[in-house]
Amino acid sequence: MLTRSIQRGLRIGAISFGILTYLILVGLPTRIGDAAMPVLAVAMALLFWISLRGGVSKQDVSARAPAPLFTAGTMAGLFAGALTATLIAFFTGLLADGVRLQPIFDKIVPQNMAALYGVMPGVIATEGIPALGWLRQTLFLTASGIVGALLVLIERSIRQRSFPRIPWLRWVPLILPFVLLAFVIWLGMPGVTFGGNNRGTIRLLATMVTIGSGIFALRAARPGAEQRVFGLLFFLAIAYLPFTLDQFQNSVMGIVFIFVMIGLGLNIVVGFAGLLDLGYVAFFAIGAYVYAFLAAPFSSPWVTAQLQSLGLPYNQPLVSYWMAIPITMVAAGIGGVLLGIPVLRLRGDYLAIVTLGFGEIIRLFMLNLSDLTNGPRGLLNIAPPYLFGINFGSPREIFILALIGAGIVAFAAYRLDGSRLGRAWIAMREDEDVAQATGVNLVRTKLLAFAIGALFAGLAGQLYAARQVNIFPENFSLFVSIDALSLVIVGGMGSIPGVVIGALALKGLPEVLRGVDEYRIVTFAALLVLMMIVRPEGLVPSTRRRRELHEDAEPIAGVDAPSALEQLATAEPTATQKAGRQ
Amino acid sequence: MTVTTYSSTPLPRRRKSAAHWVLRALGVLILVLVIWRVYTVGMAENYPASFWISQALNGLVLGGVYALVALGYTLVYGILLMINFAHGEVVMIGGFAGFFALQFFTAIGWLEGSAALVAFALLLIVGAGMLASVLTGVTLERVAYRPLRGAPRLVPLISAIGASLFLQYSVLLIFGVSPRVYQKPALIAGGFRVGDVFVPYTGVIIFATSLLLMLALYLIVQRSKLGKAMRAVAEDKGTAALMGIDVNQVIVFTFILGSALAGAAGVMLGFHNTIVKFNSGFILGLKAFTAAVLGGIGNIPGAMMGALLLGLIEAIGPSALGIPTEYKDIISFSVLVLILIFRPSGLLGEVLSEKKA
Repeated sequence: MLTRSIQRGLRIGAISFGILTYLILVGLPTRIGDAAMPVLAVAMALLFWISLRGGVSKQDVSARAPAPLFTAGTMAGLFAGALTATLIAFFTGLLADGVRLQPIFDKIVPQNMAALYGVMPGVIATEGIPALGWLRQTLFLTASGIVGALLVLIERSIRQRSFPRIPWLRWVPLILPFVLLAFVIWLGMPGVTFGGNNRGTIRLLATMVTIGSGIFALRAARPGAEQRVFGLLFFLAIAYLPFTLDQFQNSVMGIVFIFVMIGLGLNIVVGFAGLLDLGYVAFFAIGAYVYAFLAAPFSSPWVTAQLQSLGLPYNQPLVSYWMAIPITMVAAGIGGVLLGIPVLRLRGDYLAIVTLGFGEIIRLFMLNLSDLTNGPRGLLNIAPPYLFGINFGSPREIFILALIGAGIVAFAAYRLDGSRLGRAWIAMREDEDVAQATGVNLVRTKLLAFAIGALFAGLAGQLYAARQVNIFPENFSLFVSIDALSLVIVGGMGSIPGVVIGALALKGLPEVLRGVDEYRIVTFAALLVLMMIVRPEGLVPSTRRRRELHEDAEPIAGVDAPSALEQLATAEPTATQKAGRQ
Repeated sequence: MTVTTYSSTPLPRRRKSAAHWVLRALGVLILVLVIWRVYTVGMAENYPASFWISQALNGLVLGGVYALVALGYTLVYGILLMINFAHGEVVMIGGFAGFFALQFFTAIGWLEGSAALVAFALLLIVGAGMLASVLTGVTLERVAYRPLRGAPRLVPLISAIGASLFLQYSVLLIFGVSPRVYQKPALIAGGFRVGDVFVPYTGVIIFATSLLLMLALYLIVQRSKLGKAMRAVAEDKGTAALMGIDVNQVIVFTFILGSALAGAAGVMLGFHNTIVKFNSGFILGLKAFTAAVLGGIGNIPGAMMGALLLGLIEAIGPSALGIPTEYKDIISFSVLVLILIFRPSGLLGEVLSEKKA
């Protein structure tokens, strides 16, 4: 028993050492500053907690005895601490000897090492390793190992106790968005100094949480009058947002809602119809470029030449933004059908790679057809939308337009989901052959999925072009497709509120994380992997999807079971709780 | 030669419809147009034969490297039925490890020594690249893919996309933005002439090494016991497990094989292109995946053939069609789209049964 828990500790320690090494190599200590080691130790304590508790079900946690936990925790901390401290001492020794490690490891510089010892960078260069540094670091991590074991025990005792039910807690998630909205409005008032320099970022984050929690609130509300009232209030709250936010926040929210439109379109293709499309950016690009040709004909040499030869004026927009909407949408829809026809026979991954190829081809054409698209120099000075002679091109108006556009698209998607066509899509997604046998016209259904998805993307593309004013081929790289696909999946495939949540998480959060710019993508990527492991059905799964993914699995504590808050709120004890109390 | 890693359950032939004949006529039309274009351009430009030969050699070298990477995709796909989107990054990490090994051997002076010493050092450099890639590949499998075994197909794909981004930007953070430049040892820097055609030594070495590695892979998959287990797992995981095969071990072994080839490809590509940087694996991975699909994914000879074909098309295509070289990616993707339209399961692929499609 003892050897087993020691082995377990060593294994956890080795993994933690790997993670610590990674964090040191990417230069996190420099960012944290003098307190680097304590901060890392706290982070590691959480990691030790997660790995020591092991298992996923509640029973596993309850079954852990204290003694082996502490043995394993101490061993893990000691092992990870000793290894890490040795590694740091090794690097520091080299640096102190005047070896420049930067050509190999970009972030191994005296500042980084000094932060780990909590001393000034100059000390490393002159005096080498501080005395007792090794021991101090090892002890820090050993302590975090013991804290990790303690946390498991605390969790166990909390889980074993039963709590009284408080009915009014049910209202907390329902009221939360409005409290947050009040917070957002308060932050925007003149004279408020809360948050200092970060006030704008905090406000942006609060705005996004407002919208996100609002969507959860709508789902938590009881169907019927309650849901309708909250829906109306939530709608009013969102409609008020553009008028209270400042320029930067509006522009971020604008791009988020443009991506909501893209996501809703892709959701039809991937989520409803099950056609894995990796080249979705093509339709977005078609929408943007068609609008650009119409609204800025002077920046495309070929279009200018054609207009000149026809004797038409070429130095002003050909049509207004509103007149261009049907044109861009039809163009994108035709693009969708043109892509759809050749790939009708393809399935699964072949479809994915062909659509990916199609997206790349469109981008390369944009890049190289410099007569038409002006190549990498892009199309410039695209006209903003005008309404009754008022310029609608500022971030606030773009956000409003994006909200309206996303609303219309969401409504269309919602109606499609329940329609005959929507059911045909779902049948096709589940099994093409059976769908065909039951009378679904596969050609028509598939082409409609591609075309409708493309229409939405075209609409989003047009708004994007108007927002950006200048568009370049690199705005339409494969990463847009990947972003769109990720947001659909993170939100929950086939779920319309999920797309909004996904867009907030994937396009909005990185903007909030601007402060830690360097680590933005890495954090995001790691979260994506983690999310797929922990909650593959998405943040707001559609009911159907959730059932598919957890067909006969027992509810898993902390993963799928209702959260503590929800548990407290429900009047009836759920099955999990019954099982937990026995 | 039954090297396929699929079950072979051909669907019954469908009745030929009008659409089928239209499609076929379209195919012939495209073929005629391409041949006509190549013919007229060839007449007009009148390049010497040596130009074509050296272009073709270039294409073969590139194709050899693509083949090594494509094999990694195809092996994993054959067994797990998932696109290992992060495979390009495994190649890139191999390239980085090879670069550091190269620096090391340059520093201790082995690369100015005798031919045997240089050859030994080069072997070790490739070995270092392979080792780093294998470690990356195995970790990737353990962390990002194994927990998702049995999840719907899109889930591991997204996880792979996340892993790909994570690896790229971690390399960016750890090693910095500046690209690393491979310096060829003096011994292999030059080349020789056959008639009018200049053949660089690196090209010969790269092509020979890729052929050797492919042969080794073929032998492992066809002759060894583990290879047999791999084929069994690809055929049917459940039944293979019942026959006493450790499925997890076989999957790890598959990742080891694929990543080792990727590491070698990364180092050789470093010598070929002379630079390696954090995002150099991405487009390469895309190309290699294209090659694997071209040949019929999951099919080992298909991947080799598709990759060599893709390399040749990329090298010869632009000049043969008389269009700028910037369009070479368009050509390769168009070839892919066309081949999949006319042969939906790739050149050597079989008709997929419904479960696997």
